[in-house]
Amino acid sequence: MQALLSMIRKEFQQLRQDRKMIPAMIVGPVIQLIVLGFAANLDVNHIPLVLVDQDRTPASRALVDRFTGSGYFDLVGSEETAQTIEPWLVEGKAQIALVIPSSYGEDLAAGRPPKVQAIADGTDSNSSGLGLGYVSQIVSGEGAELVAAKRPLLEKTIGKPVGELELVPRVWYNPDLRSRWFYVPAVLAMVLMLVTMILPSMAVVKEKEIGTLEQLIVTPLRPWQIILGKLTPFVVVGMLDLCLITGLVTGLFKVPLRGSFLLLVALTFLFLMTTLGLGLLVSSLVRTQQQAMGFCVYVLMVPMIYLSGLIFPIENMPHGFQVASTVIPVRYYANILRGIFLKGAGIDVLWPDALALLIIGTTVLTLASLRFRKSLD
Amino acid sequence: MSPRKLWSVAWKELIQSARDPLSLGMLLGVPCMMLLLYGYALSFDVRHIRLAVQDNDKSVASRDLIASFVNSTYFDLVATPPPGTDLEKLTARRTAKAVLVIPERTAENLAAGRTAQVQLLLDGSDSNMAATILGYANALVAAANVTRLTEAGGKIALAPIDFEPRVWYNPDLDSTHFLVPGLIGFILMLTAVLSTALSVVREKERGTMEQIRVTSLKPGELIVGKTLPYLGISLSATVLILLAARFLFGVAVTGSYLHLFAATLIYLIGALGFGLLISSMVDTQAMAFQAGSLASMLPAIFLSGFIFPLRSMPWPLQWISYAVPARYFNVVLRGVILKGAGLESYPRDVGFLLLYATVVLVLAYVRLSRKEV
Amino acid sequence: MDNKAIEADRLVKRFGAFVAVDDVTLDVREGEVFGLLGSNGAGKSTLIRMFCGLLTPTSGKGLVLGLDIGRQSEAIRRRIGYMTQRFSLYDDLTVRQNLDFYSGVYGLRGKERGDRIAWAIKMANLGGKESLVTRSLPGGWKQRLALACAVLHRPQVVFLDEPTGGVDPISRRRFWTLIDEMSGEGVTLIVTTHYLDEAERCDRIALMHAGRLLAVGTVPEMKQVFAGRAILEVHCPRFLEAQEHLDRESWVLEASVFGDRLHVVVTDAQDGRRRILELLEREGNTPAAIERIVPSLEDVFIHSIEQDDLSSGKADHSGKKERS
Repeated sequence: MQALLSMIRKEFQQLRQDRKMIPAMIVGPVIQLIVLGFAANLDVNHIPLVLVDQDRTPASRALVDRFTGSGYFDLVGSEETAQTIEPWLVEGKAQIALVIPSSYGEDLAAGRPPKVQAIADGTDSNSSGLGLGYVSQIVSGEGAELVAAKRPLLEKTIGKPVGELELVPRVWYNPDLRSRWFYVPAVLAMVLMLVTMILPSMAVVKEKEIGTLEQLIVTPLRPWQIILGKLTPFVVVGMLDLCLITGLVTGLFKVPLRGSFLLLVALTFLFLMTTLGLGLLVSSLVRTQQQAMGFCVYVLMVPMIYLSGLIFPIENMPHGFQVASTVIPVRYYANILRGIFLKGAGIDVLWPDALALLIIGTTVLTLASLRFRKSLD
Repeated sequence: MSPRKLWSVAWKELIQSARDPLSLGMLLGVPCMMLLLYGYALSFDVRHIRLAVQDNDKSVASRDLIASFVNSTYFDLVATPPPGTDLEKLTARRTAKAVLVIPERTAENLAAGRTAQVQLLLDGSDSNMAATILGYANALVAAANVTRLTEAGGKIALAPIDFEPRVWYNPDLDSTHFLVPGLIGFILMLTAVLSTALSVVREKERGTMEQIRVTSLKPGELIVGKTLPYLGISLSATVLILLAARFLFGVAVTGSYLHLFAATLIYLIGALGFGLLISSMVDTQAMAFQAGSLASMLPAIFLSGFIFPLRSMPWPLQWISYAVPARYFNVVLRGVILKGAGLESYPRDVGFLLLYATVVLVLAYVRLSRKEV
Repeated sequence: MDNKAIEADRLVKRFGAFVAVDDVTLDVREGEVFGLLGSNGAGKSTLIRMFCGLLTPTSGKGLVLGLDIGRQSEAIRRRIGYMTQRFSLYDDLTVRQNLDFYSGVYGLRGKERGDRIAWAIKMANLGGKESLVTRSLPGGWKQRLALACAVLHRPQVVFLDEPTGGVDPISRRRFWTLIDEMSGEGVTLIVTTHYLDEAERCDRIALMHAGRLLAVGTVPEMKQVFAGRAILEVHCPRFLEAQEHLDRESWVLEASVFGDRLHVVVTDAQDGRRRILELLEREGNTPAAIERIVPSLEDVFIHSIEQDDLSSGKADHSGKKERS
């Protein structure tokens, strides 16, 4: 016990000695959170729009007003014909061109559906896709209004009212559909991976590099004591980060914490088992800190972030990737984070995720400890 | 500058990389892995939404509405909870993303010409997905209404507006097209900054830096020699990404390869210089990694327009993004690869990349030659 | 009286196809300063690392203080100290923090802990330097601090793996004084080195080459291999050429180059001197001097390696014959 305490104390002394490390572990996450919190926003607005209005009638102007009034589009210029819009799109000055044909007003008056064209720069497929969606919404909104305007006339002619369906949406957990609420808790998972997977694996490899690991092994310290001693400070810093980020998430970004913070802390411990285990496993596979870092970031962190549903929905992935994602601990932690923050979920709902983390954590830690002992040989 | 000395530094660095197949493999293999991930696995396109339906009406009208949801191919019917079910539990447990509730007497109301309300309960935690689902559902219900009107309408002409979307450069809005340039920018930043910074700091840690400094090597020679191999490796990674994009995803370079190469080179030099600059400020590899990833990787993902559109960000972040080279590189690369444009279309972006490379290299040179590293 | 601190019985360690330690059998008595001598890659460090429990032997048996190195490495670790050329200290911690850490790890507590740390600071002559960061210490100081850390817990056996590598001669001498002091207190020390002058200070030494143990004994015992023979030191202008020629003569037992001289082993000093003179004069390579010298440890070392290479060469040869 005393040996273990000495080990832990030494780790903290080393952390404190490295004057740049503590800020990196505390300030880094905060910057990450702030950048992500403000930047990670897939909602697209202020799409630059170039207009080709060949009709110039009150009807076409009504449509244009609908566009400018939507908030999704910024009118950046107009052209006489569709032939001259190419430079706008090539140079990226506009993302979508709206072309209203000269027959627009006439067609409407005659009861023929007029044709409106939108040309999008497909190189940014995501925002163009969303942009075209908005165009479609605005155009069909205008169309529906024009149709609705004729409803009284229609009902009068056929002599009876026509029933109408109305969709009443009720959005749970995030009624204003703020994407920030979705992404901000994800930062926590990323920061914890950094602090409790990458940094510990580098710290262990560092002792290998300078030869102190060998020195530790000839002391009465047992392998598990060495492991525990090395990992404890990172758990502590990880937990500090958890508190810090939770504070910022709820304070600065106004994301609600609807569930229990204690449950969050408890389940975070389960998650840390998996990240620490993975970090340790990596440290037993590599020889240099550079390798440890590369391995953790590229082979573990990047695929884990992407396949975990933290950013991209798992539902949209091909079947094989969905199966692969079941062994990724972050997947379950993402569920836990969103469950506790947004849905106020308790252990009655989250137990399958907690169980998955426990199983993965135990497996990884066991594997890592075995490899760690073996790698000393 | 003596080419022979320069070569010996570069050669040593290259041998060290080759001796470390793990790291080299990562430098080259990872870009391809990311591309595969993006190309095959990741997309924001929403399909197969798990929908639960509670049909309390069980009429022709309600069945028609459900059929229109399922036939749209956007929704998969996963559950039909009986009345009295705790519908929130369904979404909290993620059994369903959305629940459509059709109340009793819907058909009756419609027939009587009244407005019939149907409810859509949505899990809003994934806001992006929820918004898309809401869009789909609104469109489906609106379509049902127009059908009802036209069926009842007889001779009155009803004219909704036809909308014809057209997409240039990437007609299917395939996200690989859009991600390839962004990915090149991101990977290059990552490998160039981190490998250079780590390789210099490693020499500091092992004390070999001092050894090199007592030779007659000039700081400039050391810098160029150390960065050259990583320039080569990063360029190879670029070629790999382009090859994979071409043969796996059919994304071909429509513009000039010469322009592509020129833009990449300018960007890379800036990135390598930035790696050197970081290495002159930190002492340990762990710190180099932290600083490198924080200052290069994060902005290259989030502030470059790679995934998240810059225009929707708050203005302070937009301002910061002006200092992120990946932002300009993305614009140029998309132009050259997808639009077949030349560098002359982007004088502002190319100009900034040049400026960035120059400033960073000068700073790195000054710091590395002045300081006792 | 003659208790064994260490016993090795046919220890073998293989790394894949490479045999690092090949069938080593030896004893170290309690209280002895035991030197392991050999060139780089001879297997000294591997042998020591097996005794410390850092490596598991491929085959064979080893006892440290009567405890089995395979099964009781835990118990062994409490009783031994280990220090290497790398001075495995934490560079970023202070002298005091390093001592605190190792004393805690070894389970020292209370007054004893304080006493031992005070003792260590005094021994390593680091008084007043307790709060300096280890990185800033000169090599010799780091070396003494590393030794102090390794023996804080009063180990009965101390393994020193090239402890004086990269340290100046004065520090080396001071370090050996510490070794002698500890030996005086009854501690058994196993020291690997390739400095022959250090080996001469050991009670007994073992010569290792290519994983094999060539000879074990006290320094005078080692030199006994030259009993009944004489070593003649020959100074001549073209010494390399002379060595080749002498080596071919049947009456020359061994001829090896030492710097710019030759050491020639013959059975009889008078007769040898005459024959060498004759041979070299005939070739116009007249020696400036031929002197009989007392064999040094270096002579023993080179002699043993040559004998070993000769016999293992023969073994290979016969092996080939059998196969064909």
